[in-house]
Amino acid sequence: MATKSGNATALTVLSPIKNGAIGETSLADITRERCMRLPIHEKSPLTKVPNTYLARLFILDDVFYESLPADDAIFNFSDITSIFSDSARKKALPRKDHLKSKYLVFSSNFHGDLDTYLTGMWENWSHNDHQGIQRDVRYIWEHCVAFDKVTDCAAFIAYIKKCQLEASLFFNGSTDDSLQEQLKALYLKQEFTQFAIEHQGKSAVEIQQDFKAFIARVQPDNLTAPTWPPGKSTP
Amino acid sequence: MSNIAGKAYAMNVITPIRWYTTWTNKLFFKAATLLPSTLKGLQTLSLIHYARWVIIPRNGFPHLDSSQPKEDLHYAYMLFFSNFNGSWDQYVDSFTFAIPSGLDLFWKWNVRYPKSVPLTPFHNYIRHNQIDTAHYYNAYPMAASNDVKSAQKIKKALINFNAKSSDKSPEDFLQDYYQLLNDLQHHFGDMKPTPIVSLSSYEVKKRYEQTQF
Repeated sequence: MATKSGNATALTVLSPIKNGAIGETSLADITRERCMRLPIHEKSPLTKVPNTYLARLFILDDVFYESLPADDAIFNFSDITSIFSDSARKKALPRKDHLKSKYLVFSSNFHGDLDTYLTGMWENWSHNDHQGIQRDVRYIWEHCVAFDKVTDCAAFIAYIKKCQLEASLFFNGSTDDSLQEQLKALYLKQEFTQFAIEHQGKSAVEIQQDFKAFIARVQPDNLTAPTWPPGKSTP
Repeated sequence: MSNIAGKAYAMNVITPIRWYTTWTNKLFFKAATLLPSTLKGLQTLSLIHYARWVIIPRNGFPHLDSSQPKEDLHYAYMLFFSNFNGSWDQYVDSFTFAIPSGLDLFWKWNVRYPKSVPLTPFHNYIRHNQIDTAHYYNAYPMAASNDVKSAQKIKKALINFNAKSSDKSPEDFLQDYYQLLNDLQHHFGDMKPTPIVSLSSYEVKKRYEQTQF
């Protein structure tokens, strides 16, 4: 399945947003603002969703009209010849498409299977909004079509699956280890690099003693601690 | 707008494609999935964390309720999502220089796709069809994709070295230690926040600082 690459999974979700408005602000704009106001890095609610490598939210307002001439030999041919009528030449140009709904797009790259991941989203997503009110995942999807029927975890999983699109190709240029494993490895890379720099030119006895203390401190096999927290953005 | 999270950039591109030619793109993607060796060119672009292509049939946009108007589209649409390190220009240009023919295959017959060479029309096409991200999360903002891959190698080597060499005599330990450093020399490197390379990343930094209260 193209949505998987080893243990890494690509989740692509398009949830239609209702076409209404609250006051003068469309529901799509309210949703966009909620996404844009989410705290970032260490404070993003996605730090709490286990095994999220990289994820994003945005609003698909419409599709794009390809009006500019380009290297499209067949269709440009009619543009440069005057032997066709205006209506025939216009018909050869790309058609204009518009979406009737705006869509909340959620795209995530994560480790593991989909049901476990979505359960983690439902149970752990939490952040304080700009007014300091604690919000869960429903706050982001609140204005999506039929989301008012989502009242529990099973319904959330079913809803997201209805909005899910299969990837035709998922390219993994990184690793498919669990996020804990990735973060522990990054922590070790940082620490061991520092160790190597600090011990240049020292004696064998000293390096060996310090190495043992180093291993006792960094605990390479212990994935839970010490390690990097998800979203860590400063040393 | 937040296309940047630490060292990663989130690219979203949506392009129209004639519905009756999508089978060719799906075929190319299927071949690439079944024969990973065909993605060697893409793998040389080690700045990518994860990327994906999604084809939405013209009647394939999710329809959840009778209250939602049904889409009536002339074209199918191809979504491209990428998570990469570096600037927009570096990424798009590296695609063009590393895998121009592969790129043209993946975007084959997308409406008015100008081909990946020359650069300027290709830049214009991507910019025209790109959508900004509202919230972008990266579990390791200080790490590039190469750091994640290097870290995996360092962790494994460190555990093996500790098991095999830590209790040897100091002289033998030192010899193995130098060998370890020699083997890992391409994987070391201090990870720090990304330098401010653009106005966008400056804005992200400002926004981050505003949340630290």
